[in-house]
Amino acid sequence: MPKPNLRSLRKMDFLKVVPTRKQKISEAAAKPLPPLRSYKANEIAAALHPQCQHLKVEEIVGRTADMKSYILTPDAESGTEKLAYFSAGQYLSITLTIGDSVLTRPYSLSSSPKEALEGRYMLTVKRTEGGIASHYILDQWHAGTKVLASAPLGEFTYEPLRDAKHIVGLAGGSGITPFRSLAKAIADGDEDADLTLLYGCRCESDAAFQEEFLQIAASCDKFRLVSVLSDEPAEGCEKGFITADLIKKYAPAGEEYSVFICGPQAMYDFVDKELASLGLRRKFIRHELFGEYHNPSKDAAYPGAAAEEFELTVRMCGEETKMRCKIDETLLVAMERNGIPAPSRCRSGSCGWCHSRLISGNVYIPASVDERRMADLDYGYVHPCCTFPLGDVVLDVPPAKP
Amino acid sequence: MDNRFDVIVVGAGNAGLVAAATAAKNGLNTLLLEKHNLPGGCATSFCRGRFEFEPSLHELASVGTKEHPDSVYKIFDGLGAKVDWRYEHNMFRAIVKGKDGYDVTLKSGVETFCDSMEQAVPGCRASVRALFDLVQKCNEALAYITKMKGKPNGLTMMLKHGDFMRTASHSAEDVMNALGMPEKARDIICTYWGYLGVPTDELNALHFLNMLNCYVVDGAAMPYKRSHELSLSLADVILGSGGQIWYNSEVTKFLYDAQGAVCGVVANGRELYAKEVISNVIPHNVFNMSDADKIPQTDLKLANAREFGISVATVYLGMDCTMEELGIDDYTVFVMSDANPRRQYENRDKDGIYIVNCLNKVIPDSSPKGTCTLFFTIPIFGSDLPDDLTPEGYKKYKNEIARKYIADYEKLMGLSILPHIEEISVATPVTFARYLGTPEGTIYGYKLSGWDNLLARISCEKDEYTIPGLSFCGGHATRGDGYSSAYVTGDAVAKRVVKRMKEAN
Repeated sequence: MPKPNLRSLRKMDFLKVVPTRKQKISEAAAKPLPPLRSYKANEIAAALHPQCQHLKVEEIVGRTADMKSYILTPDAESGTEKLAYFSAGQYLSITLTIGDSVLTRPYSLSSSPKEALEGRYMLTVKRTEGGIASHYILDQWHAGTKVLASAPLGEFTYEPLRDAKHIVGLAGGSGITPFRSLAKAIADGDEDADLTLLYGCRCESDAAFQEEFLQIAASCDKFRLVSVLSDEPAEGCEKGFITADLIKKYAPAGEEYSVFICGPQAMYDFVDKELASLGLRRKFIRHELFGEYHNPSKDAAYPGAAAEEFELTVRMCGEETKMRCKIDETLLVAMERNGIPAPSRCRSGSCGWCHSRLISGNVYIPASVDERRMADLDYGYVHPCCTFPLGDVVLDVPPAKP
Repeated sequence: MDNRFDVIVVGAGNAGLVAAATAAKNGLNTLLLEKHNLPGGCATSFCRGRFEFEPSLHELASVGTKEHPDSVYKIFDGLGAKVDWRYEHNMFRAIVKGKDGYDVTLKSGVETFCDSMEQAVPGCRASVRALFDLVQKCNEALAYITKMKGKPNGLTMMLKHGDFMRTASHSAEDVMNALGMPEKARDIICTYWGYLGVPTDELNALHFLNMLNCYVVDGAAMPYKRSHELSLSLADVILGSGGQIWYNSEVTKFLYDAQGAVCGVVANGRELYAKEVISNVIPHNVFNMSDADKIPQTDLKLANAREFGISVATVYLGMDCTMEELGIDDYTVFVMSDANPRRQYENRDKDGIYIVNCLNKVIPDSSPKGTCTLFFTIPIFGSDLPDDLTPEGYKKYKNEIARKYIADYEKLMGLSILPHIEEISVATPVTFARYLGTPEGTIYGYKLSGWDNLLARISCEKDEYTIPGLSFCGGHATRGDGYSSAYVTGDAVAKRVVKRMKEAN
């Protein structure tokens, strides 16, 4: 073994370090630097995740008495040339200005990823009782209406390394929309999975996309539709609710399957109880966003509030605005009512986009929707989309991006 | 409202956070602008299902303990930023596949490290030990240079610090070879190249040995609540010292005064002014947001001459079983197809090197009871992305990467990972391009190779980036990449700004 001898390295090389660098720099061109989009990684990032998408309503298709589909195309005039590609199951967060309010709503894309490449998105909106946004859209949007949307978002997607190859989809009401996208993606060959869809409705006339689903099923043996009607019997349909027995009846026998659930809160509550008896592993049960949290005061854990409404002070980039916030509305909704452009996307406590700092005040955050990062709790950060005031609140909020 | 500040820091990455905290703590009216809705850049966390994932940190060097604080500990402590540090005393396990391969686990602590090396490669102990003696010598030389305010006496350097001069001007491999280290021992130690993104035959020895020494002496540290804890603790210092942080506030332009000094920026369409601007944003992007005639020729040529540093592909897995049930017992495992770092580097996008971490080994309750997380890292450049990659093919591309490395690790270790994946997320240079906004999604700024090494950067610091009122900090700055280097540059740059501002008053 040679004796350690650093002397074989020339120490005078040390004196070359600076001249070598200066030489390298002097030899380089002084040309302008390429823009970010000229790099592949940045180009693809920008295509998949544009800061926002300017769309316009191209066509409106009636689905049921209270449900319409909106075909959206890029609004080049406002700066969007191409639609961002997405995974079936993702949603767009739509920004709406209604009177003095500025608010967002997440709507699942009901079109297929392939259609996005052809320049078309489809959102399907159902009128919700007491809703603001759905009424506004259904009553006001017409061909030509400009729509401000986010990039595609959300994780209610088929992941081949995680999910079973066979998906049992459980849809209720407007929860059908992401499954239309998934069924089409499977038929298009863009997702390699089987989908058995149990679609719960009150009656046949409430069921959307029936013809299309039948067409897909006819041409693609990886997709099957089972309509489950609660209020009336119909030929070829199951009568009742989506129970454990019904899931067992249609789920693949002797094979693992993933359950994807999308529907109203009542359906989640019902179906989750049914699923418990099936003994599925947790990884095989996936829920779409739970949606906005209502009636916090009915929770057993609700501590009670001394008044019906409180003062909410919002600090945003050094500006301060004061407003009233009712105890049964989230801090986000209070800001939206007052026209404050606060950021939001999922409105369910999970995406973290509304991440804001609670400077002072007591709040109630229902445990079931508290999906903050651990360190957020130590430093007083909250997700205003699922945070209710219990007293006067001061909140530091970042501005919504355009 | 007031749009004038003493200091504006652009970008709340690791260095930007420390810079803003240092400025605010010293009484300067400080504004930190961040384009994202969270602080930290890479130093953050993300949630999927019941898991909160660490997105980037493998192990933080130069932390130390309360009793023996190293630079990072001192910076956080000095600022009053609290962190619940957890420590890992195994350096890493290195597995080279194939018949000439090896499977070695190294432990921290200089003597234990040397012992574990001797066990792996009998007869190498003296040459390995010599590395740490060399670090001592280099530190003495650096202390002397610092004492002489960067203008050391040439003769003293030649006579007393010759080994420093040799080390600082050669590659890590040159130095190890000169010390008579057997090839296998050298390859094992050089496993760490992945953390700097440059293979050890062109990586500056001073830089590499300094990093090695930090890991060996202090071990590695991790924050208990992911890197998000680090970033929020620094943000808390800024806010608690009267500074402001504006999130979702992307800077779109740098403003210059008539004399060519930076005097402010534009964010959210508003002009904001400051006496000093500190950029945690890479010079390439800053220059693209500046009027062309304001950029000094040297800086523009330097930007054109540089190569971007490496990025990574990463796979985050939330598992529905424990690490014991999986059969995993290591925090960090490096897996390589070839023992030689150069060949690992050349084959990086095919079959080079990857790292697998299981945070539960260091922080058992870092995921819910009955679960664990795995974190795969594959160093690749943004320019390694396939030419024919399209947005619509991207999900498939990500899943192919994940499938390949999971399968390789399952086979190598005799594990069953795939059936237990409850959550999965895959990142690539595209992801880092999205979140960091760096060219090619580099996470390491500029490549620390050849002429652009640590020593060259530090030696030429005064002649580069000379625009008055503008300083740079972060992985792209003098110290290169890694959390600790970023914290150190943020600290150093902000202290200089504080000093200048105090002198001006």
